Amino acid sequence: MFTLANKTHGLIRGALGLAFSLITLGVQAHDHSRCAVDDRDREVCLHNAANRIATLSPGATELTYAAGAGDQVVAVVSYSDYPPEAQDVASVGSHTRIDLEALVGLAPDLVIGWVTGNPAEQMETLEALGMPVFYIEPRSVEAVADTIERLARLAGTEPTGRQAASEFRDGMAALTARYSERDPVPTFYQVWDEPLMGVSDEHLIGQVVQLCGGDNVFGDQHRLVPRLDDEAVLAANPEAIIAGGMGEENRDWLTHWEQYPNLAAVAADNLYFVPPSLIQRPTPRLMEGAQILCEKLEQARQKRGAS
Amino acid sequence: MVARLWQPLGLLALIAVAAMLFSLAVGSAQLSAAQLWAVVQGQGDALARTMVIELRLPRALSAFAVGGLLAVAGALMQVLLRNPLADPYVLGLSGGASIGALAAMLAGVGGVLISGSAFLGALFSTFLVFGLAHGSGGWTPSRLLLTGVVVAAGWGAVITLMLALSPAERLPGMLYWLMGDLSYARTPWPPLLLLIATCVLLIPLGRSLNVLARGPQQAAALGVDVRPLEWGIYIAASLLTAAAVTTAGSIGFVGLVVPHMLRLLLGNDQRLILPACALAGGTLLVLADTLARTMIAPEQLPVGVITALLGVPTFLFLLYRSR
Amino acid sequence: MTRLATQDLIINVPGRSAGTALNLTIEPGQVWGVLGTNGAGKTTLLHTLAGLNAPRSGQVCLGNKPLSQLRRRQVAQQLGLVFQERLDGFPATVLETALIGRHPYLSLWQMEGADDYARAEAALEALDVAHLRHRLVSTLSGGERQRVAMATVLTQAPNIWLADEPTNHLDLHHQSAVMALMAEQAAQGSAVMMCLHDLNLAARWCDHILLLYPSGEACWGPRDTMLVPSALERLYRQRLATVEVDGAPVFVPIQAPLTDHE
Repeated sequence: MFTLANKTHGLIRGALGLAFSLITLGVQAHDHSRCAVDDRDREVCLHNAANRIATLSPGATELTYAAGAGDQVVAVVSYSDYPPEAQDVASVGSHTRIDLEALVGLAPDLVIGWVTGNPAEQMETLEALGMPVFYIEPRSVEAVADTIERLARLAGTEPTGRQAASEFRDGMAALTARYSERDPVPTFYQVWDEPLMGVSDEHLIGQVVQLCGGDNVFGDQHRLVPRLDDEAVLAANPEAIIAGGMGEENRDWLTHWEQYPNLAAVAADNLYFVPPSLIQRPTPRLMEGAQILCEKLEQARQKRGAS
Repeated sequence: MVARLWQPLGLLALIAVAAMLFSLAVGSAQLSAAQLWAVVQGQGDALARTMVIELRLPRALSAFAVGGLLAVAGALMQVLLRNPLADPYVLGLSGGASIGALAAMLAGVGGVLISGSAFLGALFSTFLVFGLAHGSGGWTPSRLLLTGVVVAAGWGAVITLMLALSPAERLPGMLYWLMGDLSYARTPWPPLLLLIATCVLLIPLGRSLNVLARGPQQAAALGVDVRPLEWGIYIAASLLTAAAVTTAGSIGFVGLVVPHMLRLLLGNDQRLILPACALAGGTLLVLADTLARTMIAPEQLPVGVITALLGVPTFLFLLYRSR
Repeated sequence: MTRLATQDLIINVPGRSAGTALNLTIEPGQVWGVLGTNGAGKTTLLHTLAGLNAPRSGQVCLGNKPLSQLRRRQVAQQLGLVFQERLDGFPATVLETALIGRHPYLSLWQMEGADDYARAEAALEALDVAHLRHRLVSTLSGGERQRVAMATVLTQAPNIWLADEPTNHLDLHHQSAVMALMAEQAAQGSAVMMCLHDLNLAARWCDHILLLYPSGEACWGPRDTMLVPSALERLYRQRLATVEVDGAPVFVPIQAPLTDHE
C-alpha cells in the first residue's frame, strides 16, 4: 500500500504514513526485536521493520538499496545517483543542509544519518522530534558489509542484506588473497587536484590500495585526507599514480603529472584512472573499483618485468 | 511626545508580526490555510503542528532575535564611533566571535561552550581594537574604525587558516556557518531574551547616547560619564554580536543597513532608533530566512547570502540618493 | 549662586613645562574675558575649568567642592560650556539640538516634557534662531550654528558660563546681541568667562580680564587695570592706537615698529 502511496505527492501521504506508524506502534508496542547498534554506538530499536526510510547521504542511499530496502526509501539527498532509481525519490536538500520541513513532511520511520557529514544541530532537532536516527560511517571493508547487514536488520530485509554483505566480503577477500602479498608498488592515490589531496592508510581508499599490494606513499600521514603539493609527490616518487577526477572519464588530473618526465610513475607510464564513483563511496560498488585498482597496479608490476 | 516614539514602533511591530506569520505559513511543505488555522487554534493534524510549532516557529524566532541583535549592535557601534560605516562585521567583532566559535567547533565541544567561546572571541577583539586604537594618545573614531577594519582583515586570515587545516568532512558545515545560516539554530530563547533585555536596558540610556553622538566632549559637558558609557556600549555590542554569531553564524549587512535606513526614515533619536532596529532587523532576517529556506527548496541557502544580496543594492541606493 | 575658583592651577598644554599658577575666583555677576594669542591655551583653560581636561597641577573648585569630587551630572547642572568647535555626528534638527541642554536635569526614564520644550523654544527665540527650529543643523551657516550652540547652553541654564569665542562667525549685530545676553546672564547672577579675540568687545562687555601669554605666564584683574596698551602690545606683539568712544577705550592695530616695554 505504501509503495503505491510513494508515487503520490503532498502532505496527505505523510499524514497517512504518520497515522499508520502510530497505529502500528499501538498494536505492536511489545515487539522490540529490531535493534541495531549504529556508528555512534547507540542502540536503535524499532517496533517494526522500517517502512519509510530517509537516507541523508548518497552513500547511505546506496547501502540501503544494497541491503534490499530500496523500495522503502522515501527521501534522499542530492547526488543520490546510484542505483538510478534512487534519482526518482524525493530529495530533502543536501547532506550538509537538510530541508527538515520536507523531511518531516515525508514522515519517515527511520532516518539514516551520516556521523560526520550531517549537521549535528539539525540531527538533534530530528531526534528531538522523536525520529529514530541510525548514524552510519563505514570506514573499512568489513564495516561496509556490516553496515549493509545492520540496515537490512532494521528494514526487515535480512536475506537480501546478508547475501549482499557476504558477496562483498567474499569478493574483497578474494582480491586480498590474490593481490595483497605481491610485490609492493609505491602508489599515490589522488583524491582531488586543487588543492592536491591524497589519502592515508586509515582511509578506506588507502585500505584498498593496501589490499591490492600497493604501498601508499602518503600512508603514514596524520590526516585522513592530507593536503599536498607537487613537490611532496615528486619527493615521494610513486611508481604509480591513480586518480579519479571530475566526472567518470576525465583524465585531466593525470595529464598534469606528465610535465615531470623523471617521476617514476610518468617514466613507467603508470598514470591510471579509476572512476571515482566506484572507489570513493563506502558501498558495494567499492568491490568493482578495487578490482580495477588492483588490475592497474598489476599492470605496473608487469611493466617492471618488461623493462 | 511619547506618541512620537510609539507610532513608528507600533507600525514596525505590526510589520514584524506580519513577517512572522508569513514565515510560519510558508515553507517547503505546502500547508493549506485551513491547516494553518487549525494549528493556530491548537488543533490540526500532528504533522502540521510539528511543522509549524516545532520547525518553523523556533527558526523564525531565532531569525528575528539574530536580526534584532545585529541591528542593535550596529546602531550602538555607529553612535560610539559617530560613523555610519561602523558595524560589528566591519569592526572585527563578528570575526573575533567567529574564530571563538570555530575554535570551539574544531575542538569538538558544543552548545554553551561555543557561545562562551564566541563571546570571549568578540570581547578579545573588542579589547584588541580599543587597546590598539587608544595607543599613546586618545583614540579618534577614524583611528578606531581603521584599527577595526585591519583587525577584521586579520581575523579573516585566521579563519581561512582554520578552514585550511580542518578535516575535509567538516568544511561544508563550517563554510555554511561562515556564510550565516539559521538551520543551526536550535532554541530561540537565549538570543530572544537577550534582545528584549538589551532593549529594556538601552531605552533609559537612549538620551545619553543622543548626547554622546555629538562627541565625547560635548557629552561630558552635558553631564554624561563618557568613558564608562563607551566601554559599556562596546561590551554590550560584543555580547549581542557573540549571541547572534553563535546562533546563526556570521551574517553581514544587517548591522550596517538597518540602522542606516531607519535613520533616514525616523531621524536620530536613539530612544526610537534602538528599539526600531530590534524590530526592523528582526523583520528583515525573518523575511530573508524565509526566502533562504524556500527559494530553491529542498536545497537550503545560507541566509547571509540573502541579506547580502538584499543589503548591498539597498545600501548603495541609499548612499547614492543621500549625496 | 555658585562661584568658580582655582587653586594653584596650572593647565596642561602639551610641550609647555611651566606657567603661572592661577588662583582665580569668578564670582556670580562677574564677566571675565580671556585674551591671548593663538596657542596660548585659552581653550585648554576653559576645558580645564569645565573639568573636561585634567590640570597639570592644582585644582578647580565649583562652589566649595573640588570639581574632581563632583559627578559630571552635578557639574553639568551648574556649569555650561560653549564649544568653539562642534562635531556633526548624525543629522539633528535645531530644536533637538537645543533640547539636549536639558539632559543633565532629566532622570533616566524621563522624556522631555512641556517645560523642557518651553525652555528650548525660549532659548532659540533669545538667540534669534527660533525660525530655524526644524532645520537640520548641518544645513545652517556658521553664524547660525554658533547661535544654536549658545541656545543649547542657554537651555541648560547654568550658573557658570564658559564660552569659547562665542562671537565666532557672527555678524556685528549678533555679536552685540550675544555679548548682551552674556551680560544679562551675569546680571541675573551667573558667573561668565569667555575667550575673546576682539579687544573691543572685551573692553565693552567684560569687567575682569585674564591675559594668557604663549609662555604660560598669566595675569589677571579688573578690566581697567588690565586693558592698558602696554600690556596688550606685549601680549599680541602688535602696536595699538587707543581712542575713546562713549567713555570706553577702543583699540586699533597700527603699522608701526614695536617698542620694547621691558
